[in-house]
Amino acid sequence: MTEGTKGYAKPADLPDDVRDHLGSLLIVLADNKRLLGMRYSDWLLGAPALEAGIACSAMAQDEWGHGRILYAMLRDFGYEANQLEHEREASEYRNMELLDGPAGEWPDLLALNLLLDTALSVQFEAMAESRFEPVHYKVSKLLDEERFHFEHGRGWVTRLGSTDAGREALRRSFRPVWEACLRWFGPDGDEAGRALHQAGITDKDAAGLRARWLERVGPVVEAGQLELAEMDGGGSGVWLSRVEPSWDGWDPDVRRGARGGPDADMLARVRGDKNRPLLMD
Amino acid sequence: MGKLQLYEVFARRQRADRFEHIGCVEAPNSDLGRVYAWQTYDEAKWFEMIVAPRDAFHCVNRPEQPFTLHPSEEALT
Repeated sequence: MTEGTKGYAKPADLPDDVRDHLGSLLIVLADNKRLLGMRYSDWLLGAPALEAGIACSAMAQDEWGHGRILYAMLRDFGYEANQLEHEREASEYRNMELLDGPAGEWPDLLALNLLLDTALSVQFEAMAESRFEPVHYKVSKLLDEERFHFEHGRGWVTRLGSTDAGREALRRSFRPVWEACLRWFGPDGDEAGRALHQAGITDKDAAGLRARWLERVGPVVEAGQLELAEMDGGGSGVWLSRVEPSWDGWDPDVRRGARGGPDADMLARVRGDKNRPLLMD
Repeated sequence: MGKLQLYEVFARRQRADRFEHIGCVEAPNSDLGRVYAWQTYDEAKWFEMIVAPRDAFHCVNRPEQPFTLHPSEEALT
């Protein structure tokens, strides 16, 4: 938060439209964090190395922790945290389509790790100096933990990208995730992104966030020869996508291409259906 | 695809502390060596953690390689 600017201590202080957009954004982030944590946890015992399994465990715990903080924060926006965490139907989730089903192969998980996880971090980074104080105070620790998630993804892309077979596997897995992440920030001029930026809740609009994400992941996928990004040849130093996102069916409320939500197995796990009788409060 | 290598892990809890050797991880490159070290040895809130490839260490006073275990300990690894 820039010194001298007025901060917002609670949601009730925000202008109505900004409060609605921010509440929606926090649900989007919480759902993605919670489900991404589940996808990391799927690989605790099946990762290609013991250390990679431990890394998945640590990243899952980080994501669940971040999700829990966000769901709790939503109470002040008029949501009921227990309902958000345990009572919703699949169609009410606002996670990226990529998290609806399992990451079947290790490169699929790496794509979520490097591209999707970084997209979430870029959105949080935009709130590091937010005028909305409850978010502003949480972002620094969260980003500190996320730094190692990015390095894990980068380390594995470097490793697999060094062989023809590994590079081909990465290309197959990264292409759909790349397209979905490009789109996830919303179209240039997106209303919610603009309103949050103008209110000082974020430091970039949708186009600015996409550019920041490209700047972060572009050099990694280029080094891995994944044919997804390139630096502007005009010497501007700007990273460009070699793929145009499709906006067919784009729904700005849920920030995904089509309503849907987690598959039945994931829904049962993320809501904690198996342990429902143990929920005491 | 990047040969697996052992990285020795050292850490200290506070700036005034000396580094302790806390373990090792196996990784194909130093990026992953750093990540694995941080995520594996997370039992303390470390002020600083560093890693180095095992083969960067040279024994000064003994003929065997550094970090060589006693034969009875090798059996446990």
